[in-house]
Amino acid sequence: MLRALRRASDRRRHAEGEYGWLFHPYTGNEMVAIDCETTGLDTRSAELVSIAAVKVRDGRVLTSESLDLRLQRPASLNGDSIRIHGLRGIDLAGGDCVEEALDKLLDFIGNRPLMGWCLDFDITILNRHLRPRFGFDLPNALIEVSQRYVRDLRRAHPEIEPNLRFEAVAKALDVPVIGRHTALGDAVTAALMYLRLEKGAMRGD
Amino acid sequence: MVDVDLSQPPFTLLDDAGRERVRGGVDLAYFDTQEVILDAGQPGEFVFMIHKGEVAELDPTMPAAAARIGHYTAGDLFGAISILNGKSRYRFQAEQESLCYLLPKALFQRLCDDYPAFAEFFRQSLTHKARLLTERRAEGGVTMAGFMLARIGECMREPLVVDQATSIFDAVSTLNASHADSLLVCDGECDGERFGMVTKTDLLNAVVIEGLDQQRPAIEVAHFELVTASAEQYLFEALVRMTRHEVARVVVVEEGKPVGVVELTDVLSFFSSRSYVVSLQVEQADSLDELARASARTPELVRALMAQGVKLRFAMGLLAALNGRIMAKAWGFVIDAAHRDASCLIVMGSEGRGEQILKTDQDNALILADGHAWPECEAQMREVTDTLIRLGYPPCPGNIMVSNPDWVGSVSEWRERIARWAARRDGDSLMKLAIMLDAHAVAGQTALLEQVRDELFERCRRDEILLSYFARTALRFSTPLTLFGSLKKPQHGIDIKKGGIFPIVHGVRTLALERGIRATSTLDRLDALAEDGRLEANFAEDLGEALALFTELRLRQQLERDGDGEDANRVVVQQLSSLERDLLREALHMVKDFKQRLSQRFHLEYS
Repeated sequence: MLRALRRASDRRRHAEGEYGWLFHPYTGNEMVAIDCETTGLDTRSAELVSIAAVKVRDGRVLTSESLDLRLQRPASLNGDSIRIHGLRGIDLAGGDCVEEALDKLLDFIGNRPLMGWCLDFDITILNRHLRPRFGFDLPNALIEVSQRYVRDLRRAHPEIEPNLRFEAVAKALDVPVIGRHTALGDAVTAALMYLRLEKGAMRGD
Repeated sequence: MVDVDLSQPPFTLLDDAGRERVRGGVDLAYFDTQEVILDAGQPGEFVFMIHKGEVAELDPTMPAAAARIGHYTAGDLFGAISILNGKSRYRFQAEQESLCYLLPKALFQRLCDDYPAFAEFFRQSLTHKARLLTERRAEGGVTMAGFMLARIGECMREPLVVDQATSIFDAVSTLNASHADSLLVCDGECDGERFGMVTKTDLLNAVVIEGLDQQRPAIEVAHFELVTASAEQYLFEALVRMTRHEVARVVVVEEGKPVGVVELTDVLSFFSSRSYVVSLQVEQADSLDELARASARTPELVRALMAQGVKLRFAMGLLAALNGRIMAKAWGFVIDAAHRDASCLIVMGSEGRGEQILKTDQDNALILADGHAWPECEAQMREVTDTLIRLGYPPCPGNIMVSNPDWVGSVSEWRERIARWAARRDGDSLMKLAIMLDAHAVAGQTALLEQVRDELFERCRRDEILLSYFARTALRFSTPLTLFGSLKKPQHGIDIKKGGIFPIVHGVRTLALERGIRATSTLDRLDALAEDGRLEANFAEDLGEALALFTELRLRQQLERDGDGEDANRVVVQQLSSLERDLLREALHMVKDFKQRLSQRFHLEYS
C-alpha cells in the first residue's frame, strides 16, 4: 500500500524528468533478474558491494547481455561479509561510486519487471541509496522467485513444507548453482529457477 | 562470467582472449523434456553447449525406430554443423530437461574467422579428431610419445657400401675403422645393382666356422634378401620388422637404392623399453619354461605400450609378430625337424589378422604337404595344443585347434573341405570360410597355406550368391547409434564388439574376398581396398580409425579388468570424456554407413 502510494507520487513528480520513462508501463517481453552483494544483512545499514543484472527473454537467460558492477569500497566492509561474497577491499579498487552504479543499473533495467531471490532485501537497500540521490524508488514490477516457488509447490504438493534455502530450491528445481554468492551468479541462478517454474517444473510431478 | 567449461576441445584451440569472448557471449536456455531445440530445415542460429541434460538427434524422415542418429550429453556441442551448412539437417530434441549455453551464430563465425584451428575442428574428419585425442593424451605426462612419432629417417645411419671385389679381410678392417656392425656389398651385375648385407657375425662365421680364406670376396657371405623399409615410415615399424624377421637391422631403401641402415641398437637408444627385452627373451629361450616366462610378460608389454600412447596399429603389429615368434618357437621345440618343411602351422581368426593384443583363445590349424607321411601326427598335435595352453593361450571353445583332426589335413584335403563349405553356405560353413580367410602362417612351409588360399579365392570370389550370404553376417548385429538413450541402466553400456568391431572386420573381409586381397589384417586389407579403388581412400582411412578406436576402448577395459574378458566389450559411455564420446559417435556412424554400402553392393536389402 505504502509502496503503491509512493510510486504514484514518484511518478507524478518525475513524469517530465530525465527518468520519466521508467514509470511507463512496460510492454516488451523482457525481464531482468537482479542481485546485490552487501556488507551486511541489516537493510538499514548494509552498503552495496556489487550489483548484477541479467536479462531474460523468450525463455533464455541472456548472460551475454548482463551487467556486473563493482562499487567503491564502502566503509563498513569487514571480514564477516568478505567471507561470504569474497570481494576484498582490493577487489573493489576502481569500482564505481554508488551514484554511477545506480545510474548504469537504471539504464540497464529500464522499466522491465524485476525478479530475484529474496528480492525485497535487494530492493530495499537499492531504494535506500536511490531515494536520496534520484528522488524516487524503483518503480518496476517485482517478481519474487522464492514466492513463486512456494506457490507452485503448495499447489502441486500441499503437504510438503517448503525448504526455502537457496541451494535446496535450486536442487529441487534441478538448476545448477552458478557462482553462488557472486551477484551475477545468484542473479543467473534465480533467473534459471524462474524459467523452470514458468515451464511448470512443479506442475509435472 | 558464467562457469562454462572451456577446458575441452574445441575451446582449447582458442586463446584466453577467445575463451573470454565465448564466456561473455553465451546465453543460457532451458529446454523441457521432448522440446524440439532445433528442427530439421531450420536455420542454425546458435551453437549449443549442454551444461546439463541429454539431447537426441533425430532424422524426422525416418520411422521412429530408425530415426535416432545421435545423442548428446553434458559437455557436448551441437548445432555448429547447422550453422556451417546454413540449416539443420536433423531435429534436435531434449531427452531430459536440458540446460544449454547458446553461442550465437555471429560470434561463432567470428571465432571461426579469427581462429583457423577452431574452425578446422568442426570440418574435421574422424581421423583428425583421433589424432587430436592422441596428442592430448600424449601431453598427459607421456614422455615416450616422441618415439612413436619418430620416423626411420631420423634414426638411420649412413650405409657402409663396399664393391664386390672387397675381401673379407678388407671388410673387417672397414667395419673396425668406422665402428659399424654391418656393411652392404654392391653387386654391380645385370642392369640394376643389387646390394647384399654382411654383418660382423657373418664374417666371423665365414672365417672361423667355415674356414674361408681372408682374401675371399666378402660378397660370398652376403645376404641378398634384405629386410627393407622407407625413410618416411615410423621407427616403430622398423622394430616390428626386426622382430618379425629375426634380424637386427633394416636397410632403408629409396628408389631401389639403400640410403641408410637402422640398427637394432639405434632403435633401442630411442626406445629403451620392455618390448625389446621381451622379444629378446623369446629369441633366447631354449626351453619351454623360459619361453613361458617370456610369454607371460607380453600383457605387461601391452600396458607399457598403451601408457606410452603408442598407436594401436603398431602395438598390434608388434604383438602379432611376438605371438607369431612364440608359437613358431614352441612349434620348433615340439615338432621334429623332418616334418617342419612338409607342414604349415597357421593361426586364424583375430590372431591371423594380427588384431589380437592380449592372448585369447588359440585358433590354429595344420596344413600338410600332399603325400607326406606322418603317422604320429595326431599325438604330436595334441602336444602342440597343450604346449600352447602352457604358454598362456587358452584352448578354443569351438575346438578349432590342431588337436582336432578336423583342422588338420593335407593340401588336397583342405581343398575338398573348402569346396564343401562353399557349396553348403550354411552358417557353420560360412564361419569356417571366414576363419580360413584370416589364416596366417606362423611356422613351417608357408607356401602350403598359399596353395590352400588360392583354392579359397578361386572357389568364392566370383560366386555372387556365396558372397551375398557371406556379407549378410556383417549386418547380423545392429549398430547402436544412440549412445545411451534407450538403455535401461547406463551401466549396461553398448557392445562395441558386436556393434562396431565385428561389422567392420567382417565387411572388410568380404570385400577382400571379392577382390582377392591376400592381406589378413583388417587395416592392411583396407589399404589394399583403397589402392584397388574398391573404397575411397578417405573412407578406408576413417573405417580404420573407427576400428582402432573400438579396439582401443575395448583393450583399455580389458587391461582395467585384468583379462576378465566377459564384459570388456561393453563400453559405458558415461565414463568417457566428451571428446571420446564424440569420436565413438562418429565411429558408429561410420559403421552404419559401411553397412549400408555392403547391403547395396551385395543386395542384402530384402534378405
